[in-house]
Amino acid sequence: MKCCVGMTVLIAALSPGLAASAADENADSQKQKELRPASERFASPDTDEIPDFRRLVVPVIGKLGCNSRACHGSFQGQGGFQLSLFGYDFKMDHDGLLERVDLETPADSYALHKATLDEPHRGGKRTEKGTWEYNVLLKWIAGGAKNVDLENSPTFERLEVTPSELRFSKAGETVQLKVVAVWSDGSREDVTCMCRFQSNDDQIADVSKTGEVVNQQAGDTHIVAFYDNGVQPIPVIRPVTDTVGEKYPKLATKTKIDGLVIEKLAKLGVVPSDVAGDTEFLRRVTLDMTGTLPTPQQIRDFVADANADKRARKINELLETPAYAAWWATRFADWTGNSDDQLNNVTPVRAQAAQDWYEWLRARVEKNVPYDRIVEGIVLAKGRQGDEDYLEYCASMSEIYQRNSEASYADRETMPHYWARNNFRQPEDRVIGFAYSFLGIRMQCAQCHKHPFDAWTMQDFHEFKNFFVHTTFRNSPGAREGAEKLVTDLGLDTKLRGNDLRRQITPLLAQGKVVPFDEVWTRKVEPARETNGNNRRRQQNNRGGNQPREARLLGESEATDLSQFEDPREPLMAWMRSNDLMAKALVNRVWAAYFNVGIVEPPDDMALANPPSNKPLLDYLTQGFIDSGYDLKWLHREIANSDTYQRTWVPNDSNHGDQRNFSHSIPRRIPAEVALDALVAATSADDEFGKMLTDVDRRSISIASAGSRYNENRQNYSLSVFGRSIRESNCDCDRSEQPSLLQTVFLQNDQDVYRLIDQGRGGWINQVASELGMRQTRTAGSAGNNSERQIARAETQIRQLKAELKKAKKADDEAEATKVARRLEFAEKQLARLTGVDKADDKASATAQSANDAEKIPDIIRRTYLRTVSREPSADELERTVAHVKSSENQLDGVRDVLWALINTKEFIVNH
Amino acid sequence: MARHRNCEGTSRRDFLKVGALGATGLTMSSYLRMVEAGQVKGGTARSAIFINLSGGPSHMDTFDLKPDAPDTHRGEFNPIDTNVPGIQISEHLPKLAKVQNLYTILRGVSHTLGAHRLGTEYVNTGNKPLPSIEYPGYGAVVSKELETAQDIPPFVAIPNSAQKPGFLGVRYAPLNTGSTPTAGQPYAVRGIELSGGLTINEVEKRQSLLKDLDSTFRSIEQDSQLIDGLDRFSQQAYYMITSKRSREAFDISREPSESAKLFGEDGFDQNCLLATRLVEAGTRFVTITLGGWDTHRDNWTVLKDRRLPILDSGLAGLLQALEMKGLLETTNVFVTGEFGRTPKINTERVGRDHYPRCMFMLMAGGGVKGGQVLGESNADATLPKDEVGYSPDDVAASMYYALGIDHQHEYHTNTGRPIMVVRNGNPIKELFA
Repeated sequence: MKCCVGMTVLIAALSPGLAASAADENADSQKQKELRPASERFASPDTDEIPDFRRLVVPVIGKLGCNSRACHGSFQGQGGFQLSLFGYDFKMDHDGLLERVDLETPADSYALHKATLDEPHRGGKRTEKGTWEYNVLLKWIAGGAKNVDLENSPTFERLEVTPSELRFSKAGETVQLKVVAVWSDGSREDVTCMCRFQSNDDQIADVSKTGEVVNQQAGDTHIVAFYDNGVQPIPVIRPVTDTVGEKYPKLATKTKIDGLVIEKLAKLGVVPSDVAGDTEFLRRVTLDMTGTLPTPQQIRDFVADANADKRARKINELLETPAYAAWWATRFADWTGNSDDQLNNVTPVRAQAAQDWYEWLRARVEKNVPYDRIVEGIVLAKGRQGDEDYLEYCASMSEIYQRNSEASYADRETMPHYWARNNFRQPEDRVIGFAYSFLGIRMQCAQCHKHPFDAWTMQDFHEFKNFFVHTTFRNSPGAREGAEKLVTDLGLDTKLRGNDLRRQITPLLAQGKVVPFDEVWTRKVEPARETNGNNRRRQQNNRGGNQPREARLLGESEATDLSQFEDPREPLMAWMRSNDLMAKALVNRVWAAYFNVGIVEPPDDMALANPPSNKPLLDYLTQGFIDSGYDLKWLHREIANSDTYQRTWVPNDSNHGDQRNFSHSIPRRIPAEVALDALVAATSADDEFGKMLTDVDRRSISIASAGSRYNENRQNYSLSVFGRSIRESNCDCDRSEQPSLLQTVFLQNDQDVYRLIDQGRGGWINQVASELGMRQTRTAGSAGNNSERQIARAETQIRQLKAELKKAKKADDEAEATKVARRLEFAEKQLARLTGVDKADDKASATAQSANDAEKIPDIIRRTYLRTVSREPSADELERTVAHVKSSENQLDGVRDVLWALINTKEFIVNH
Repeated sequence: MARHRNCEGTSRRDFLKVGALGATGLTMSSYLRMVEAGQVKGGTARSAIFINLSGGPSHMDTFDLKPDAPDTHRGEFNPIDTNVPGIQISEHLPKLAKVQNLYTILRGVSHTLGAHRLGTEYVNTGNKPLPSIEYPGYGAVVSKELETAQDIPPFVAIPNSAQKPGFLGVRYAPLNTGSTPTAGQPYAVRGIELSGGLTINEVEKRQSLLKDLDSTFRSIEQDSQLIDGLDRFSQQAYYMITSKRSREAFDISREPSESAKLFGEDGFDQNCLLATRLVEAGTRFVTITLGGWDTHRDNWTVLKDRRLPILDSGLAGLLQALEMKGLLETTNVFVTGEFGRTPKINTERVGRDHYPRCMFMLMAGGGVKGGQVLGESNADATLPKDEVGYSPDDVAASMYYALGIDHQHEYHTNTGRPIMVVRNGNPIKELFA
């Protein structure tokens, strides 16, 4: 069977402009004669037409609900009769039906009796005698109940829906859709009566089974028509205000993005919010771009900067920070599924593969390597590089894995760990994972049935799968002998396997020995030999077997001969560069990260039935990104410099209900890693806070891996509570940005948060204490028994060390004295850290609280606001908080309360 | 405006709404309403305690002994009589033998997943694991479906749990205690204790400051599910932190001696005690994990010296305490490992290996009639008798039945896929006879 729908064709079908309105009638005259609807042609059984199984019978049994999930579409069937779910397995459906028809006396067919309830039917009455649906089935049976001859029939090309866009002006208005199927021979048929219709939001527009659309509320959505393999969305819009057309204000459009967004908003009668002020913009852009809060100093500097281009300069500046690379590498690690759980035993050192993966990505984001080349480095990844043989490969990998090695995994050309994951070893898993990572599409549906919301069939899935079967992890040529030699050279038992072997070689690796590594490798596909009759059968078997020679790209009609390539994945990569799917998926995901929702939402569900909310916008960004040479920073700049991104979250009367059209900024909870880092920053002294953008290695935004070992780590409690991506199921929803009770409990009352607030030196409260000349009364030390014990222990140790020092000095043992003195110094520092005071603080605390401390409080409050919610307090807020501090018994405790309250405001945990 | 809608018609926005309210339990399944209206007969449970015997306990040495089996299979232990005539269990479970009337043994439960992770996911969700989806654990479903007082955590895991909220979302994740109480000592759980000298007064003072300051988004509460949800959580968290009831529920040192003395000093005993206190306070679902059952080596020594006495004491205490407090009628107790162990002894290591085809589970309370043995394994405990056994799905459906939750209720994943609470099981009617 040939492919039925070319991707290009489908995309073309989507692209005719949105110009047509409800009143628009297409010029029928130019088209080939169009078949009248089946409902008219079969209104009476007195017709000579024999219904086509594919064009009429399958759509009718779909329309009657026979092949639905609850009925015969169930994988277990119903009453021993199974139909393919969502159709498209013509053979299976035909075989099943054929057992239930009576070719001699068609009207006595069991299938018809069931459908009309002449026979008891658990599915109830589906139709009645004499209806056009009944007649279609009857006439098909009477015509010999033939299956479709797919090889020799025209293929399905597209659906044409009129009107191509619906514009309503009041509730209750109705429009009847007309759907025409166009086939490859140019034949056309009105298939409205056989279509399945769906509204993407029935609160805005409802659609009946016959394709009549009724407007409900104002807003915009899509109605989708389904027939055969066609999935055609039709935009529906009803302005939410009467500020449309002439009345719509003339708005400045700073960038192309703004123009395209406002074009859509104008149709909706939605006026966008104003551009946000400097502090709101700075907080948002710093969080989105670098996963970091701006420091009080950065905020004050930015606000004071009088240059007109300061926002663009800030954007450029942020894109050059290590935090940008660290944070966006984490996002790429989400999308590619970097998880320790899945990389178990991929390398001889535990957890190292996940680290490699992250570093490889981070280096590329940092150097702004074009996105298509990053993808290429994963899609075409293999263990050996260049001409390396197995032993050379092991030598270069071992070198990377040595302690303090200068070689870095990031320097490897490709990143094969992606292919080595446990959940990426089966070809089916690879199709699903690959489509998720790089195309943002969900192929899993098509593994078992026709994709209900997209063009993909099971056949598409399984023929596409063949690109992935030639790549293997482990057992590469030469590996067995090579590994045996290495193990022997290391003096180890060659019978050691798995964990036993790993345990032995890991320490040797650290010592600089060369040890065996497993590798990802690809088998070259041999060309087909000239065949004679005898071995043709074997050839054919081979095609469908483990080493298929052909594979078919999604949306292409012709198969690719894999034997023409060194690596059968090459045509896959070339295909990704030849169309815009890869660019579109990435552009949409990056957009979603900046705007809370994608232009296609969810961002990883690029299906025909889930169209973009603003197609021209998505197309513009996609093409621009490709034209820029897949320049990631171009994309970030393009987005962040737009007014659309810079708008305030404060809505106006016309746009407060908008969640999908980018008329204002949408408050969203900051991602887990960013949240934890923000807590750390907000509670740190100025010096520490100032390092956040550059010292990224200890930050949560640069944690390489995900996985259960990682998640169960107590230190990561907060990250799992805040929904850091688990990277398990090929879904962007593995990361949760939903709020939860546990998160709030954590922020309000968790020891980890108190420990941050009450940390000694390096903490904000400690800094405030020394500015006020006070002693930090409450420290992490006094907050829990644990720390009290630590302090007691440190004090005892100091006493003991002092005694030892005395003894050593007495004994004139200089070496011992130096050693003990060093330990003593360390212990004293430790104590100072635990109690949050050093000698200087002691001196300061000796001085009484001076009168001018009172004047210091408002300044401290201002800076506490800046470091948490990134703005100055309002006069009212300042008054309340200063009053709170002054009414506190201890002013430091008062400031502490304010810090606590601010990190517990929604404004803190929400990016806005 | 436009929102994403999945194939069965629930918009993502609706999910969020249900979710935000769900934690306070304003939603109730239609099934439950029918139960309340007397249209469907459900169990009588309002809460459940799930004990996960992690590692896979040997069925032949605990609740399904085969004293007449050949030496290659039989094992060292002998059966003893219980307080229910005709039912025998292992000699190393004497306390449980004395309360057999309170619980029912399911024998010949059978599945095919012999790996720890898969088996664990199966028995913690009632659904055979699929790579493409993460099923929610029982506790997530129960806390979504059943109403809980605002100051009481709906789902608590002691000290943590294999049960994940799955596609239902993190808001249905358990509150992990992260630790085990020590007998007789005051106990508090992470995040909801008042420690470091923090007093209610101080909490109230700072809370009122927070309320004063947290007004930036007041204008968009109506339009933003996030802002609305955060407000609710903030209140709930405050209730829990300041609620005496909630803190006291966790503090096992407050248990009256009459019931406290039913429990031994082991951590598992104390976890069981904590579970009864939480259920008493209104928590809907508690999980306790007791590991150490992966007895590939020295099966009998490990069981006799450690595992069985611990399980025996804690579980018997739990059942008796629930009964004493009048909570057994409203609390379903479900005990299981991820699989059984090979009937044929691994003589090399004196152990038994993973064996999912025949295992036991225990169930009590919430309408479950105690003192029964349901199901039966064949002569050498290798398969259910006549190969007709219960599946983990059936037992899961039974637990939901006891709780009045429709196990065929459908949820939708983020990808719009419809998923039943338990797809393939049916409640075991005999449990509720």
